Amino acid sequence: MTSRGAGVSLRNIVKRHGNVTALKGIDLDIRPGEFFALLGPSGSGKTTTLRILAGLEAHDAGKVILDGRDVTGTDPGERDVAMVFQSYALYPHMSVYENIAFPLRMVKTPSAEIDRAVRESASRVKIEHLLERRPGQLSGGQQQRCALARAIVRKPRLFLLDEPLSNLDAKLRLETRVELRKLQRALDVTAVYVTHDQEEAMTIADRLAIFMEGAIVQTGTPEDVFRRPATVEVATFLGNPPMNLMPGRLSGHDVVIADHRMRLDADYGAERDVLVGVQPSRIEVGAEGIAAHVDLTEQLGDSVIVDLQLGATRVRAKLPERSRLAEGARVHVRFDAADMHLFDPETHRRL
Amino acid sequence: MKRAFMRRLALACAAGALLSVWGFPVIWALLTSFKTERDVLAYPPKILFEPSLASYRDVLSGASSIVPNLVSSIIVASGATLLTLLFAVPAGYALARLDLPGKRASGFYVLATQMLPPVGLIIPYYLVLQRLGALDTYAGLIVIYLTFSLPFAIWLLVSYFEDVPREMEEAALLDRAGRLRAFWYVILPQVRGGIAVTTVFIFLNAWNEFLFAVVLGGNRVRPVTVAMFNFISVEQTRWASLAAGAMIAMAPVMLLGLIAQKHIVKGLTVGAVKGGGRR
Repeated sequence: MTSRGAGVSLRNIVKRHGNVTALKGIDLDIRPGEFFALLGPSGSGKTTTLRILAGLEAHDAGKVILDGRDVTGTDPGERDVAMVFQSYALYPHMSVYENIAFPLRMVKTPSAEIDRAVRESASRVKIEHLLERRPGQLSGGQQQRCALARAIVRKPRLFLLDEPLSNLDAKLRLETRVELRKLQRALDVTAVYVTHDQEEAMTIADRLAIFMEGAIVQTGTPEDVFRRPATVEVATFLGNPPMNLMPGRLSGHDVVIADHRMRLDADYGAERDVLVGVQPSRIEVGAEGIAAHVDLTEQLGDSVIVDLQLGATRVRAKLPERSRLAEGARVHVRFDAADMHLFDPETHRRL
Repeated sequence: MKRAFMRRLALACAAGALLSVWGFPVIWALLTSFKTERDVLAYPPKILFEPSLASYRDVLSGASSIVPNLVSSIIVASGATLLTLLFAVPAGYALARLDLPGKRASGFYVLATQMLPPVGLIIPYYLVLQRLGALDTYAGLIVIYLTFSLPFAIWLLVSYFEDVPREMEEAALLDRAGRLRAFWYVILPQVRGGIAVTTVFIFLNAWNEFLFAVVLGGNRVRPVTVAMFNFISVEQTRWASLAAGAMIAMAPVMLLGLIAQKHIVKGLTVGAVKGGGRR
């Protein structure tokens, strides 16, 4: 199936602010029609990457390629991209109608066509009854929809979204997330979505790139990165609560954690130190395994988060809510070899 | 309930007291302007008197008419205001937005020019205008006013431009407006309050200016402030004519204030950006 969305490639993008290198060579390929998330903690360079893609910021080296055309150095207006800003950036002195019409007026569209297009976009995001209002008279959610309508009105092939949901309350955020995804499918456009919320990225994106300190550390589908995090940083950034890390000793087919020996699926050769990662939901509490004691329990309704102390390391387990564990209780924890992620303690890379 | 009433009463009294301090000279001048020269000098001052329009007739159509001077003032003040805005608006925008080398230093320079006492500049300005052959010309006086109003206007406008979120402009750029149209359609409407304030300031300063007008103007260019000064002479001071002239000279200023007030609206940009409640 071919998409009308644009393909995006970034080649070795470098951005410096004085002595600080904000982006250390970003390489990225986004397929036409894909919903692609740039995920990372704040200051990791994801928004800068988006702004370079939009042409709002100049970069120091590398190429931006849209649909096979090198657009490096061209003005934002020449790139046929639309953007939804975190702050929405609506024009406060214009009505909602004029806000949505603005991109069309700038390219001298006949007014009958503008009228039709504005009403169509507004009805797609369900704000057709608000066209006469000013942005200041809208709620946060309505403002966000107005910004979306303005972005889709001229049918761009690439859609850039900079944390568009971060100013909405939690419930509205979940609803809008789903609608955004449907809208992107219906319009058949490529979307690049910046967020620091890993759950948001995991649920909305076809693929995502994880940014850490100005570099992409991993690219893949949400399942890929969740199942096989490439580094310790990725592993501890994803999941809620994030992955547990335990120091261990690796030799051959065996790993020793807190004096407890476990059998692995593969042979890892000579003896060495290792960091063992296990997702909280993969930890079982029972009669056998590594000795631990319960520090704290948090009820989440359908599940319970249990803080466990394994010797010097702290581990969090996500257990079914029926498992009743008293704080201070002595227990044993175990997990399958298949659920263990092994990382090099020096390089933090996956073994 | 009662407390609230007392509070309002106290506030009203305070406001009334302040208003009377401001209003007394104005009202005194207004009354004087309707008196005859004889009544003006009466002692004790006459509260009740027969109003006369003689002074107004005198300053409007009499031998010492100030109408040509009003025209002079309008030309000088509007010229200075228009030219100032023409340069200050783009300059303020540039200083607020673009990364120019020496941007900080230029901001200081702008303020430094405001710290000079104007009197110190009269002689140099006189000599400069004289050598240029621009003494007693509209162009000369307007340029001199520009040297004061322009830095001040730029400095005032920069803060207004800095309040316009950058993203709003970027959105316009992505909407294919280009820099000029983004400026015209998106940025400029956000700062119209600031432009109104600046216009009023510059116009008022130029309209009320006396020192430079009396030294650098003279015969051909004689603004109303200078003309009114001529009512005070060695032989006599024509208080009633002076007051009538002052009343007439105040009128355009009042009018400007009323018009501008409508544009200096608060909260114009509220709702553009989350949490963005500015002027």
